[in-house]
Amino acid sequence: MAEPWHEAVQESDFSAEASVQERHMDVALSGTADFMVKGHLDRFLRSLHAEVQRRALTEVSVDVRRLEFMNSSCLASFVWWISTVQEQPAEDRYRIVFLSSPTVYWQRRSLGALATLADDIISVQL
Amino acid sequence: MVPGTASSASLKLEFRLRPHAGIVSVVRRFVEERCAKLGGDPGSVSRVTMATHELLENAAKYSVGEYVHLKVEFNASCDSIRTQLTNETTPVHRARLRERIRLLQNAQESFDLYQTLMRRSFEAGEESGLGLARICSEGELALAMGESENTVTIVAHSHPPRNSQDG
Repeated sequence: MAEPWHEAVQESDFSAEASVQERHMDVALSGTADFMVKGHLDRFLRSLHAEVQRRALTEVSVDVRRLEFMNSSCLASFVWWISTVQEQPAEDRYRIVFLSSPTVYWQRRSLGALATLADDIISVQL
Repeated sequence: MVPGTASSASLKLEFRLRPHAGIVSVVRRFVEERCAKLGGDPGSVSRVTMATHELLENAAKYSVGEYVHLKVEFNASCDSIRTQLTNETTPVHRARLRERIRLLQNAQESFDLYQTLMRRSFEAGEESGLGLARICSEGELALAMGESENTVTIVAHSHPPRNSQDG
């Protein structure tokens, strides 16, 4: 059995957590992702991407249902992640599934814009 | 904060703030709460909230003055949105804003330009200008810019209703 892995960011108004169970990585974000936490988010995404690659996982689910707001700088962090996955050889790419809330209205437009960048690897679930 | 005014379905809020990153989400939440209380389309509340956050955060990053001046107007009955931010900034930043806003104003499809700028954003770093493009595309708002000596005013506003455009 593969060893467990866990990564977390805990700030006053933002938290991010990632863990691997079996062959699947679960990520959960909550609070506000803004300029104050962009550096933390960048390091978090780089770390989880490296772990997905190391374990050759095929899918990551990202639960943003409790993410109240994300600013454009943090959206750019996700663009970096998505672009990095896209640039991998086909056999090393993995899918990213966003779990979104129908009542957090910015998510529909922002996640839609991210999905349009890479509809071969991104999906958004309500 | 300067006291705002509200009718049954509209409000005007004015803020005089010291520009720092910690105040941005506090103001965004306040604006969201006040606009949501008017009723109307939650999507429109989300749009004015997002525009307010992006403009104020830009000012927090690039303002060189002691205060910024923010005005938010929201009419829930006709989904009318106007967010205006005035701050002092450097000539170099004013020139960048002028160029970016001209690009966005001239875009045939704001979503296509937004996608292009998203792809470039992680190479451009902090000066990606993605926030303004997001206001236009996700927020479906038009941008205008005014300058006076060392201050700049950015206005994000909803497009006129189609029937008023048609005259």
